[in-house]
Amino acid sequence: MPMSCYSSVTTVRLDAIKDAETPRVHSLPCEIEHDGPAEVSAYFSATAKERKHEKTVSFRGRGLKGQEVSCPKGYTGLILQEVHKPSSDQEDGVLKVSSVFNKFTYWNLDTPPSSDDGIVMAMSWPQVANAIHAPLED
Amino acid sequence: MDLSQFEADNSVSCRLTSPIPETCKTEDCCLGIDEAGRGPVLGPMVYGICFCPVSRKEQLKELKVADSKTLREDQRESLFLKLDEAKNFVGWALQILSPNTISTSMLQRTKYNLNALSHDAAIGLVQYALDSGVQLKEVFVDTVGPAAKYQETLSKRFPGVEVTVRPKADSLFPIVSAASICAKTWTRTTALDTRTVSFYPKTKSWLLRHLDPVFGYPQFVRFSWSTAQTLLESKAVPVHWDDDEEDGDKAAARQNNTSMLSYFSRGDSSGSNTHTHRFFTERKLQNLSSL
Repeated sequence: MPMSCYSSVTTVRLDAIKDAETPRVHSLPCEIEHDGPAEVSAYFSATAKERKHEKTVSFRGRGLKGQEVSCPKGYTGLILQEVHKPSSDQEDGVLKVSSVFNKFTYWNLDTPPSSDDGIVMAMSWPQVANAIHAPLED
Repeated sequence: MDLSQFEADNSVSCRLTSPIPETCKTEDCCLGIDEAGRGPVLGPMVYGICFCPVSRKEQLKELKVADSKTLREDQRESLFLKLDEAKNFVGWALQILSPNTISTSMLQRTKYNLNALSHDAAIGLVQYALDSGVQLKEVFVDTVGPAAKYQETLSKRFPGVEVTVRPKADSLFPIVSAASICAKTWTRTTALDTRTVSFYPKTKSWLLRHLDPVFGYPQFVRFSWSTAQTLLESKAVPVHWDDDEEDGDKAAARQNNTSMLSYFSRGDSSGSNTHTHRFFTERKLQNLSSL
């Protein structure tokens, strides 16, 4: 699946999909200046609680409330990892699929997620896109 | 004592109670309130109440409850057992505020400070005693904050009960000493039972050594304490929340990732500057043209 960007080409290697991990994915309501491994299970998953369908956890001392969100029907979530980092914008880049997911937990600060939240609404885009790109019937 | 509720979920706030003595439901009673574990950056904070009939205050003195600060830990524990033995006329209840409760309350979007948190815990316990049928006439409270205002709040909240708020009340009124013994015994017990750090000295070096760059600390640390916050700010990776009060320019730059200079650059030939419809921005959807 090559994607053109200026004159270089970024290739996404999909062959790794079958070996890809299927971790539990969490979307947090903050920006963490970190890109790499983290002790998610020890510090986060292990402390998440679910009571009467309400998921709660805390991150850096702040209370979060969560909800499970499924990827749109027919779609799979991919986490890509750079295999080869281009040293200039002329050089091609290669990405591989490191993990796949079909659902994730979406966390909000203090308040429970609702259907008005961006990420939850975004999941309906493929359906909307299908509708607006479908041929017109008389 | 059954700690199972707290052990099952030590991230919340939990209440432990003794049975209510029958005499407390028929006779006029006094009640003392004290707190323990307010200061440390680790472990729970415990609010304790102890109550008995006004007519039996003297008997409480005979148990030799004294200001719990002047007691050794083993003395405190044996006094707690004595109080528990006097269950035909002495009742008690505790509210254990876990460190996670303290952190998440204080770091809410709408700030909930420690004073409000502890006042609410105290009010909740007094209300519990009233709801259980205790004939409350006198309430004595130990406080570290301004006494007069707190006394006024409590008096208004509990009409018909004579409220006395006093600094160092635990050395003045035996019923407050008794509450203090209950609270102090349980800060230690719960801290030990949850296998948190049972020693408070050298906390700072412990915090320094056990800092995870992403998550910071386990949940028994009070993240809202300045000791923890200072270390997180200097040693952990930065985390930005949408309600952070940061420097305007810096925040804007981070959120948009655009500098002024970008307006002078040639930009994407497809014209990335065309306005994206609200439908997409609200859903945080973006066109992907490069990875």
